Amino acid sequence: MSLLVLNDVGRRFGALQALSGISLSVEAGELRAIIGPNGAGKTTLFNLISGYFPPTDGSIVFGGEPITAGTPTALVKRGIIRTFQITEIFLSLTVRENLRVAVETAMGLNLRPWISAAVRTVVMNQVENLAEIVRITAKLDRVAGELSHGDQRVVEIGIVLAKSPKLLLLDEPTAGMGDEETHHMTDLIRRLNKDQGITMLFVEHDMAIVFGIADRITVLDNGRMLAEGNATEIAANPRVQAAYLGHAA
Amino acid sequence: MSTDLATETARTAPQARTGMSRRTIGNVVLGVVLLTVPLWLPLVGGYTDLASRVLIYALAAMGLNLLLGFTGGLSFGHAAYFGLGAYGVGLMLKYETHSLFLALGVGTLVGGLAATLLGPIAVRRRGIYFSMITIAIGQMFYFIAIRWNTLTGGYDGLSGFARPKFAGPGHLLSMGPTGMYYLVLAAFAIAALLLWIVLNAPLGHAFVAIRENHKRLTFLGVSTQRYIAISFAISGFIAALAGGLNALLDGFASPNLLNYSMSGDFLIIAVLGGMRNFYGPLAGAVIFVLVRDYVSSVTDNWMSVIGLVFVVSVIFFPMGVLGFFNRKSGS
Amino acid sequence: MGLLLLFNAFNGLIQGAFYALMALGLALILGLNNTINFAQGAFMALAAYFAFTLTPYVGFWGGLIIAPLLAGALGLAIETSLIRRLYNRKDPIYTLLLTFGLAFIMQDMIRTIWGAQGKPLEIPQFLNQPLSSTYFFLTGYRLFVVGVALVGTAALFGVLRFTRIGIRIRAGNSDLETISALGVNIYLLRSANFVIGIVFAGVAGILAAGQLGLNPNMGDALIMPAFVAIVVGGVGSLVGSLLGGLIIGLASGITTAFYPAASEVVIYIIMGVMLVVRPRGLMGQEGLFE
Repeated sequence: MSLLVLNDVGRRFGALQALSGISLSVEAGELRAIIGPNGAGKTTLFNLISGYFPPTDGSIVFGGEPITAGTPTALVKRGIIRTFQITEIFLSLTVRENLRVAVETAMGLNLRPWISAAVRTVVMNQVENLAEIVRITAKLDRVAGELSHGDQRVVEIGIVLAKSPKLLLLDEPTAGMGDEETHHMTDLIRRLNKDQGITMLFVEHDMAIVFGIADRITVLDNGRMLAEGNATEIAANPRVQAAYLGHAA
Repeated sequence: MSTDLATETARTAPQARTGMSRRTIGNVVLGVVLLTVPLWLPLVGGYTDLASRVLIYALAAMGLNLLLGFTGGLSFGHAAYFGLGAYGVGLMLKYETHSLFLALGVGTLVGGLAATLLGPIAVRRRGIYFSMITIAIGQMFYFIAIRWNTLTGGYDGLSGFARPKFAGPGHLLSMGPTGMYYLVLAAFAIAALLLWIVLNAPLGHAFVAIRENHKRLTFLGVSTQRYIAISFAISGFIAALAGGLNALLDGFASPNLLNYSMSGDFLIIAVLGGMRNFYGPLAGAVIFVLVRDYVSSVTDNWMSVIGLVFVVSVIFFPMGVLGFFNRKSGS
Repeated sequence: MGLLLLFNAFNGLIQGAFYALMALGLALILGLNNTINFAQGAFMALAAYFAFTLTPYVGFWGGLIIAPLLAGALGLAIETSLIRRLYNRKDPIYTLLLTFGLAFIMQDMIRTIWGAQGKPLEIPQFLNQPLSSTYFFLTGYRLFVVGVALVGTAALFGVLRFTRIGIRIRAGNSDLETISALGVNIYLLRSANFVIGIVFAGVAGILAAGQLGLNPNMGDALIMPAFVAIVVGGVGSLVGSLLGGLIIGLASGITTAFYPAASEVVIYIIMGVMLVVRPRGLMGQEGLFE
């Protein structure tokens, strides 16, 4: 069974038809890239799936249940977690504190005005675990705002990982990064997908990354689906070449 | 040494150990200084009631600062809860009881519950809007106090009650200036300890995270409004406790205690001392109350001087004096 | 009773006109300067005292025009020397406390220069006459106040709609970054906007002094209702602030007829109800300044 299914989904903003006729299904464990030129509707698609606003047409099904009218909070509870184009972390806190509040949220501890040493240990161990997974252990006690852009992105992924996402939505995870940071991030995405088995949707501009790691690729253009397939199929698709790759070349 | 909770907890092990011991030393020194105030203050020309006033303002500002500095909610209406505490204590002592602790408890409860009930209305909006709503809600109580003459004494304030001479079981405590000071100090210490515990627990972590980035927290599935309302309520209870103590100190409750300019005093105390620092409000209260006490005794233009304190601290000490010295010693 | 009610309603409407004038000035400054200007009441008092000093030389009408401009000039000096330093601090607390402190200083200066006692502001004789013996409360001055409020408001909306600077101010309210990217000098725009807001406060102050006389704290009584007017009307909407001012003025006036003690509290109750029923206010935009 597919984990995420979109049936003929569309979104209008007043007179503007931002997305229309989007039908796709993402299998559990899949690493799916969404590509397309600027304004193709990629972020709008993310906003619909994560409940930022509802679609005006069509329906969305997650894990066999309809989530078309879900709010962000409700969808987070179901396991749909996202990152943003702009990194959203807690800038004046240390990396450890960033991860700690995420772990406490995931464990449902937020309302606790005090905490036993035993629970504190569980929290801190989980923080260390997350840091290992995203490989930020060496910088745990640095203030997040002083880290490089790439490291801040990694911290954000650590934060969302605390919630054990079933579906992780990454909006341009490598935007603005240097070569080394980009390499680190793509490696992280691949490991999270393969080792942790997390289903992922990511928006990406860098074609080398997309063709390098994505299981399947969905191409959007002007709010519509242009093509879908694996890297070889997409690279060979004449419509994609004309509409998208042609622009880039 | 930095006492900034937000970034200071959970450093690497060796640093944490030295940080811990330095903080412990700091707390012990502070404790000794505060405990011995009635002994040394007269030697430097002060009087004990002035020290009580400093601690009462510090307590109110520390409560406010949970919301302001640690949760990122700019309330300009905390005088209302301070004032409600004061009127609550005054009315209890005037009409209902001679028990100091009962009166103080009721006053704290009245102001705290008001904050608990009204906070959820204010937190429906954020930013400047939140501030304006808190001011307006606060002013409502001010106008009720000056119009409900028969109960509150109107513009003239509530008088005709006095601090009981003794408090506690079997006249344990003599409530002269010294006894009053130790009562205030005990309240301050308990409230500070509770705040410290909360700030080091998941609840406090959530508060700070909201201040830092409420959007991130919302997209982790946390309904941030609820937490801001909780912070609002806790800070309201502490402000009310401070107001109740203020009424005991003066044997009088003025409607000005409810007015927004009083809220401004608490805010500037927090900012002046350092709103990201746990003890910032205490430092701010020492400076603010002493400057005001001194200036109003030497010039009629004391309002201008207080105004200048606002302007100078905002322009030159945005992180407060503790933040300012931390940065100097840190770099 | 009917006459009393009418009298109080009319009184409330005039009060509402003051609130609206104050609220408009505050809302302008809140919008573009991102500042809750606590000194608005002090600027108002200052303009009224300027008018008081000028009237013997230039007459009431001269004072009504020159004094708000003088207050505006002082506003310009304060905006460029102090408030401007704080625009890039994200937290609104700094401008709020700065203007709060400035209000203290300005009030104290007024007291030092002109004295703490109340003073009357002379208004032209012909404005002081009741227009009708039955409706004795309809003095020329009261109608004049309403007239000036209307003209002032119309002028403001005209400026915002039709002049280049007005259009930029409105654009800046909704998206400052974009108009900055378009090459508009934001510092200049914010200064101009601040001055307009202060001139509004100045006019309101002189009109109020003509009716109630002068005292150093005269602004205090108007600034809080002006905040409430903005919250009720909806942050981000000038029309909303205007309506909010009139509504709470009227409500306060009518309440005076039935239960005078509640005339101040009623506006806060209106605000509370509005916040519960419609948190963004009458005409407010969702999410602005949040």
